[in-house]
Amino acid sequence: MACSFFHTGKVSNRLARIKVLNLYERGIDGPVVCIQCEEKYCLSCPEDALTLGSRGQIIVSPTVCTLCGVCEKACPIGAIEIFDGIVYVCDLCGGTPKCVAACTEGAITHVDGADKRASLAGIKKSTKKMNASQKRQYFLERQGIALREKWSRKHA
Amino acid sequence: MLEFGYGGKILRLDLTKREFQIEPLDPSWIKSVIGGRAANSKRLYEELNPDCDPLGPENILIFGVGPLTGSLLTASAYYTVTAKSPLTGILGDSAAGGQFAAEMKLTGFDQIIITGKSDNLLYLLVTESGVKFVDCLEYKGRKIVESTDAIRREQGDYAIQVAAIGPAGENLVSFAAVVSSGNRVNGRTGMGAVMGSKNLKALAVRGSRPVKLADPLAFLSENQKIDQDILSHPEYKKRYRLGTTMLMKDLNSIGILPTQHFQEGVCDYVDEISGQNLADTFKVKNKSCFNCNVHCSRYYLEENQEAEGPEFETLCGFTSRIGNQSLPFALEMNAYLNQMGMDSISTSEVIGWMMECQERGLIHPDDLDGLSITWGEQEKIRRVVDMIAFREGIGNELAEGTKRFAERFGEEAQKLVMHVKGLDIICGDPRGIKAYGLTYAIASRGADHLRAEPYFELTDRKEEARKRFGTEKAADRLAEEGKAALVSYSEKIALLTDSLTMCKNIGLCMDILDLERASSLLRAGTGLDYSSEYLEEILEDAIRLDHRFNRRFGLSKEDDTLPERFQKEALTRGPTKGSTVDIQRMVDEYYKIHKWEE
Repeated sequence: MACSFFHTGKVSNRLARIKVLNLYERGIDGPVVCIQCEEKYCLSCPEDALTLGSRGQIIVSPTVCTLCGVCEKACPIGAIEIFDGIVYVCDLCGGTPKCVAACTEGAITHVDGADKRASLAGIKKSTKKMNASQKRQYFLERQGIALREKWSRKHA
Repeated sequence: MLEFGYGGKILRLDLTKREFQIEPLDPSWIKSVIGGRAANSKRLYEELNPDCDPLGPENILIFGVGPLTGSLLTASAYYTVTAKSPLTGILGDSAAGGQFAAEMKLTGFDQIIITGKSDNLLYLLVTESGVKFVDCLEYKGRKIVESTDAIRREQGDYAIQVAAIGPAGENLVSFAAVVSSGNRVNGRTGMGAVMGSKNLKALAVRGSRPVKLADPLAFLSENQKIDQDILSHPEYKKRYRLGTTMLMKDLNSIGILPTQHFQEGVCDYVDEISGQNLADTFKVKNKSCFNCNVHCSRYYLEENQEAEGPEFETLCGFTSRIGNQSLPFALEMNAYLNQMGMDSISTSEVIGWMMECQERGLIHPDDLDGLSITWGEQEKIRRVVDMIAFREGIGNELAEGTKRFAERFGEEAQKLVMHVKGLDIICGDPRGIKAYGLTYAIASRGADHLRAEPYFELTDRKEEARKRFGTEKAADRLAEEGKAALVSYSEKIALLTDSLTMCKNIGLCMDILDLERASSLLRAGTGLDYSSEYLEEILEDAIRLDHRFNRRFGLSKEDDTLPERFQKEALTRGPTKGSTVDIQRMVDEYYKIHKWEE
């Protein structure tokens, strides 16, 4: 909501670069957003419309982009999505992400981890044939396994 | 043309013909009812044949959101489902939060109006461009979360939100619920049975039309004040930790926690079944509706049980109200009822009523297919709930609702049904909260606190009471004085929150919303010239319309009352000891304020 409003002045999950999912059957809620992975699969853009910003964020050039969809397909976790002629991916709001400020739970943090990028190679193959929404669901569900183990331990 | 706030369109669906129509929303029509509950009531009033069979194809089922639903407005996450009620035969509606409303808003449809009856079980996928009718015979008997998950998998889109019915709705249990976001329940008045009667398993929504505000910056600034008011509110931390379950101990401390079917107002084992115990022992995380900063809902894990909730009504309904001392059992019932799609208030009333009647010898086990049941008997409660959901044995009769079922017994047993207008009373003994008592009596959908939620009477704000309602007594929970004025005010704010589709815990209980603030939000949100005077006028119109609607269904002033127990029998111990409700006096005053005839 904060993301969509900051960037467009409107509210819609389609316009948000951070996508919140609710997996009701698992009790898990959570956002999926670009984690600036080690591999940077999206930079395989055939037109070189995607470049890396100084904070590690992905910058999309709308003039060069042809909306071919390669970046959306390449991202293993559905953090890039094309909607209505625009490529949506986290741009870190210029350095102070609005989602971090908006979350009263402190569930989202922004750390400068240039030297410690997470790898998505482990799930790249599993999500290859999925659409962006399915990839997000897969990614969040995997993250949820650890969370649910923590719940069970607490309960025990 | 409605460019801002509103989606600007309505969707009409005929399930018999499997056809749909998209119509523009008439700007002057919607402006005069705002949206949400008030708009749904008006639509039903204008289009429903009041004599229709609630479970027939003619009944009109409406899903409605409001101009600020899914917008920047904090806690604007509610939607209302409206139809003629199969439980009460009068106006029926029920609202729920979660994520469904915000997604429905993105379809651009402010109302989805469903008539007819499908030959086969189906679900609907509504997007901005229209409707997909999807046959789903294989969904028959599925629980809520299973259906939700299946639809998302089938469609390959996990942003889809689903409002579904469970087996209880399919089996036309007259108090069946519609459930969305897994555990968010439109519980009251049997809207799930209306869906079931249309062979409609689920309504799935996925939108793409963003919510646009007329003056985003003005709106943002007003909403920042709201957020500040919420975060600095004295109840904020408690609500964050406990949600509505804080009421278990709060109501017990003033002697109005329904215990053994309203025979007592103090429960000796309240610590065991309290929200605090739930939070300390079983809660694993907070849950939230769309765009809220209170996050009052909770997810729990208990051996093999896990679910969201329970809210206070379910917790009290399945503990003290029916004499059960086990919190884990109540958690099990919460999860089960939500997945079967059945209202926990009506279900616990029918169980509690049977228990009391048997205890008093007014009903014999032979009258109940041999079922002998008393306080807290877990195995039997499980069985009864199951029999109702699947309409098996005596459950088939109990599924008609407590009032109707009781008609086969004597006057004494009928008097013990805790209902108004056929709707079972919530968990809050009106003998110790008189404004709530009046609200139950006059509420247009039957016994209901949410039509006014006069929480003010519990806040001890004497000076404010004198200023707002002309007497300090309005803030004295045991007094009848000033309560008609309080209820006549807070029913407007309650309708306002319902029409803006804001959460009532925040809008009303935390006193966040008033006419001035709402009109400024509406102006910035929709660009239409709402003023607080205009709002007050149209809210009064809408309340009058509900009243006229129920007259059309054959109700009279005599129906605006409370069960005899609350008027004649005093509680014997605790801080509400000795108090009864002079309901007639309050209803008379209320009618006078409204200038209604008999």
